[in-house]
Amino acid sequence: MERKIVVEKLTGIFRRVFNSASLELRDDMTANDIENWDSLTHMILIAEIETAFKVKFKLKELNKMRNVGEMSDLLLQKIL
Amino acid sequence: MVFTSLNFLLFFPFVALLFYITPIRWRWTVLLAASFFFYINVKPVYAVLLAGVILSTYFFTRLIGSTVNESRRQFYMIFNIVIVLLPLGFFKYFAVINNSLVFFLVDIGLHWPLPEIQYMLPVGISFYTFMAIGYTIDVYNEDMAVERNPGLLALFISFFPLILSGPIERAGNMLPQFRNPTSLNYSNISAGLKMMLWGYFMKLVVADRIGIYVDVVYGNIAGNNGSSLLIASILYPVQVYADLGGYSLIAIGVSRVMGLRVMQNFHRPFFSTSMAEFWRRWHISLISWLTDYVYTPLSFSLRKYRIWGIVIALMLTFLISGIWHGAAMTFVIWGLLQGTFLSIEALTNHKRVNLERRFGLRNSRVYLMICMGLTFVLFAVSQVFARVSGVDEAMMVFRKIITAQGSPYLDLTTLAYSVMGMSILFLKDLKDEFYNGEPAFFSNTRQWVRYCSYLTLAFIVIIFGVFGGSGFIYFQF
Repeated sequence: MERKIVVEKLTGIFRRVFNSASLELRDDMTANDIENWDSLTHMILIAEIETAFKVKFKLKELNKMRNVGEMSDLLLQKIL
Repeated sequence: MVFTSLNFLLFFPFVALLFYITPIRWRWTVLLAASFFFYINVKPVYAVLLAGVILSTYFFTRLIGSTVNESRRQFYMIFNIVIVLLPLGFFKYFAVINNSLVFFLVDIGLHWPLPEIQYMLPVGISFYTFMAIGYTIDVYNEDMAVERNPGLLALFISFFPLILSGPIERAGNMLPQFRNPTSLNYSNISAGLKMMLWGYFMKLVVADRIGIYVDVVYGNIAGNNGSSLLIASILYPVQVYADLGGYSLIAIGVSRVMGLRVMQNFHRPFFSTSMAEFWRRWHISLISWLTDYVYTPLSFSLRKYRIWGIVIALMLTFLISGIWHGAAMTFVIWGLLQGTFLSIEALTNHKRVNLERRFGLRNSRVYLMICMGLTFVLFAVSQVFARVSGVDEAMMVFRKIITAQGSPYLDLTTLAYSVMGMSILFLKDLKDEFYNGEPAFFSNTRQWVRYCSYLTLAFIVIIFGVFGGSGFIYFQF
């Protein structure tokens, strides 16, 4: 799967979880840039991503993710 | 030696001076010696516990760092957490467990007297224990490298401005600063002293003045009517904010004078429009610690249950926070209330966001003020449980507020000074929150405005401050 497709799929999940139909993802985006992305919604986002991409994250990996770009890269690594 | 004592006002400038005249490479040794002197000054024997926590943490984190086998690394991490938690658990919960056991034995007809052991909680034990645990987990998670210098690790865990009541700092922020301190810098000293001055104002003028009224009313719940209890219950959250917020600001200011940047602990919490936002602004260092080391692992392991996993993790995290505050049913209820408020918000989040967007409520001042008011009321209700000594007392407070109104107890001098202090605090927070800090006083471009502001505030602290009063509320935790 190409990175572009990963980001497209991620965008759909982000829009659903954060209830924002017009949300466009950028690699440098962090929780500060997206309304309602807090510690409460974060784990729901992670669970949705795991289901959609059929992957499992480790807690250590989550702790190291700093932005959307790193999340996309990690996902790409896991599904390839 | 507390921040509001004369001893500290002599101790601190001496340490700062010694710090700056020592070569940069060895400055950490001044801070370490000062930290142990500071702590030994509180009660010498408890410094042994502190040293034990430091030694254990140093030993086990070195082991974690040099071990490849994952299950062994995990074992060392858990083992150290258990060891450093033992003193906290003993001093905080032994008496309660012991007494419960005696009652239980009597209940089942066994009169088997157990020795009553009631020690004073070593001051700061929660705070240095949390910092040691945080560092251990960070090393285990490879979020930071193992500190090889035992002196630097000892300084991180015992750093005197933070040891009594936080902010609960992270090794990742503090250790590099201890290793490479900044050189003497006027702006750091100025910024630090300003924070200290504002912190003293919050503590001595606001918190301790409000405390006089709250203590009188809550000290005799049965003898006071609902109106007095209502006033005291509204004032109490402000007292805690000014007390712990003031303490934190002094701690941050003291560190800043020596060029060390410590995390913010309060961010104008009473302007929060939801409980979730409130807990991002109130006692930030504790909540972020709980989020990283308790809530996140819990919610991660429960993530397959989606929103209900979040709800369970929230309830458990705040239950732990409540039990940490005190081994009493009132604190259990306090924790469960916070968990419930946040869970309800999490469960209704989508609907609330939709509603706010549909009607443009986020731009409505009235709506935001209602949300702020509601958030304050919810927190104030929960704080009743933190202030009373039993659930029956809390129930009496609520019952009286609803049914037994009347003329409130009015200690006019105390209330007038409290209102004056709270107004200054509120206006400062208001301008910082909504008007970008304008008009500026402490950071005004005109020198005379700055100096007049410092002098006026110092004058207010000296004239209206409550001296020789109580310690800080969070010393008991």
